Amino acid sequence: MKAVGARLPRYDGVAHVTGRTQFVDDVRVPNLLWAKALRSPLHHAGIVRLDTSKAESMKGVHAVVTHADVPRNVYGHLEALGIPADEPLLAEDDVRYRGQPIAVVAAESEDAAREAVEAIELELDERPALFDVRKAADPDAPKIHHWGNWYPHFEAGFDHRQIRKGDIDRAFDRADVVVSGVYRPAAIEHIPLETQVALTVPEPSGRLTIYSCTQALYFSMGVVAAHLQWPLNKLKFVGGTVGGGFGGKVDTAAETMTALLALKSGRPVKWRWTREEEFLCSSTRAPWHMEIQDAVTNDGWILGRKMLTLHDSGAYARFSPYGVTKHSFHHTGAYTIPNLHFDGYVVFTNRVPTSAMRGFGVTSVSFATETHVSRIADVLGIDPFELRLRNANRIGDTSPNGIVYTDPSTVPTIQAIAEAIGHQLPGAYGTMTRDPRAGDLLPEHLLSAVGEVDH
Amino acid sequence: MARHTGRGISAIEYPTGMNQNGDPSQAWIKIKPDGRVDVFSGTSDIGNGSKTIQSQIVAEALGVPYEWITYDNSNTDSSPVCTGTFASRATFVAGNAVLKAARSAREKLLEIAGKELEIDPSDLDVVDGEVIAKGAPQKKISVPDVAAAATWVHGELITGTGAQLNPYAAIVEPDTGKVDIPPHAAISYAACAAEVEVDDETGEVVVKGLWQCFDVGRAINPTLVEGQIEGGALMGLGLGVLESCYPYYPSVEHRGSEFGSYLAPGIEGLPEFNTIVIENPSADGPYGAKGISEMANNPQPPAIAAAVYDAVGVWVTELPITPERVLRALDRKAAGDAGPRREGKAVIFDEELSVNTVAHPESRFRFPVGA
Repeated sequence: MKAVGARLPRYDGVAHVTGRTQFVDDVRVPNLLWAKALRSPLHHAGIVRLDTSKAESMKGVHAVVTHADVPRNVYGHLEALGIPADEPLLAEDDVRYRGQPIAVVAAESEDAAREAVEAIELELDERPALFDVRKAADPDAPKIHHWGNWYPHFEAGFDHRQIRKGDIDRAFDRADVVVSGVYRPAAIEHIPLETQVALTVPEPSGRLTIYSCTQALYFSMGVVAAHLQWPLNKLKFVGGTVGGGFGGKVDTAAETMTALLALKSGRPVKWRWTREEEFLCSSTRAPWHMEIQDAVTNDGWILGRKMLTLHDSGAYARFSPYGVTKHSFHHTGAYTIPNLHFDGYVVFTNRVPTSAMRGFGVTSVSFATETHVSRIADVLGIDPFELRLRNANRIGDTSPNGIVYTDPSTVPTIQAIAEAIGHQLPGAYGTMTRDPRAGDLLPEHLLSAVGEVDH
Repeated sequence: MARHTGRGISAIEYPTGMNQNGDPSQAWIKIKPDGRVDVFSGTSDIGNGSKTIQSQIVAEALGVPYEWITYDNSNTDSSPVCTGTFASRATFVAGNAVLKAARSAREKLLEIAGKELEIDPSDLDVVDGEVIAKGAPQKKISVPDVAAAATWVHGELITGTGAQLNPYAAIVEPDTGKVDIPPHAAISYAACAAEVEVDDETGEVVVKGLWQCFDVGRAINPTLVEGQIEGGALMGLGLGVLESCYPYYPSVEHRGSEFGSYLAPGIEGLPEFNTIVIENPSADGPYGAKGISEMANNPQPPAIAAAVYDAVGVWVTELPITPERVLRALDRKAAGDAGPRREGKAVIFDEELSVNTVAHPESRFRFPVGA
């Protein structure tokens, strides 16, 4: 029988539903120590004093690790893509969000580890915090990040990601109507059933075996190797089966900490985040602030788009510059808009760093673009199917960054939905295809947006 | 006081693979002496079904039953690089890696089979676990017999390796965003209609029905595709009407810290799903497949927002569309203050949310409003 196209049962389905799949927390090893973290109780503060001596001398405590124990404390997950490092594994001079880890402890039990954390002496100098991305560039905004309040390291010294295409001023001059709106999807939790967890076992060979819930074994192994300044062959990552990720387990949250504690104590160390830590201290989907202004004609052509995006990155950059770039590449959604003026900023605030989540960078713009297009249809009194099909990207059209679309399916998917709900498409919209534009659906203003046409 | 029904639509697109590419996946395969197949891939299965999908691809490419495949992604000592399970890349990018590994193992398999049958390997095919001569299917040898011969007669190990890497797409004009080559492995598309019921007394929005159409390129496993689409839709419902880490964003107060204080979709109160899968094959995907795993939670929120407007005549553009936000919008509408403001040819919504209202006049963050 053919395997591709077959409704075969999941490879791991029976094990999952009978509770026999082994996740990281199911792994049992002898001589285990348990980790707990001291986290910042404040949103923004300077660290005045950190004294772990009492905790270290407590019964059952085998290791306390602070920034001073990390061979390379500040490492950027996307340094290979040119996004420099800004986030310490363990806070050194500053804390920039409530819940930021400052020290980790390994002890004989989770209770003993918790008591040791409480015995660490921490003195903080509280500073004003910033939470509203819209106010981050105000003259009196608190200064919260050493790079400034927004990420300044895009290519060629740009402090934002920008897209420019066509002649935006001409598009707005020619428009019959200019429609503006603001779109603000929320931060949400990944809510994996399996909270962040790692177990590191020091092997007699000198290697470390790291049981990990990562979504990306080699990526996370690279992160640990960079912090430890070790070659990859001294590490063995064990994983591949994840109890829910949705993007949150691309952050390598617990692996390096347990590795450091295992090295210092010489014992296996497990750190499993509580549900409360998962909710309050793990990364979230980012909140986004998006403003769109579209130049449209009375008969429903979108001639041009201006857009401002403020991405709430939380306290550190993590993957946010990547997310905003991806966002910018897709800011016209499923449509061909020939004249564009987009500015996107990665804005720092004193909340838990936001990070990757299902649809990273684009879930936000899908909401903004589609709600805006629905509004335009309503303002103009045009069938929302027709408005979408008219502006839908077609084979041969070009994307915001100049790439020719080769197989867009906007037209057939919209037609399928119209048919499914029994909506009669007006005029020729029921029979149009995704093939290159022609006739009424290739107006003069789109000539420059068609890849094969040389203008 | 009444319940009002409304309908809204959306159309979306989403890229397969990391933005700008440059994200490799590798795989290797060995065949045991009885013909059973061991696949080593570094792809984490985060519930997306990649163990199943990649095993199906290998079974298809090798021409052996799915049940013969053992899939091992358990550790970095035996499995090669996979950039990771994110960016909708596990089926397309990592799937291409195992496909190439299977094709390379198949070549080695046919080479040994050719020696056994004394037929040129190019004249052989593998069907249902048997190597057969093209045009003369009575001349055949089973894959287990080929594997045994490789081990005990020819002193060979049947293996295959494969790697997939779409080259990095550089931004060649930082001022315009222009890139030199396509910054994605493929693009997938979807459209959606949502039907909602809005209670104008409580403000509650209930999503009654979702019609969703996804172009998946090729459904390697239709059951898992439908699971992605409908499971993703639940996350979209959370985004649309329920979930928020910061209920009073941008304030950080009143964060939920447990399941009881964070409202996420459950299995109760599901909308009626109508799921349509269409297959416009991707030129470069394994058997034409594209990735749809992430975009599955993208089309619902805007379709719901439009449906709420259709039902009760108010736009809520801060998510989630909570009862409180609906009632406040209805109050503004009743007071004749629902907007938009019109000025010349400008139609201006949501002014109260704009940087122009909230930010300091000297702020870098301003947005041109008005034409």
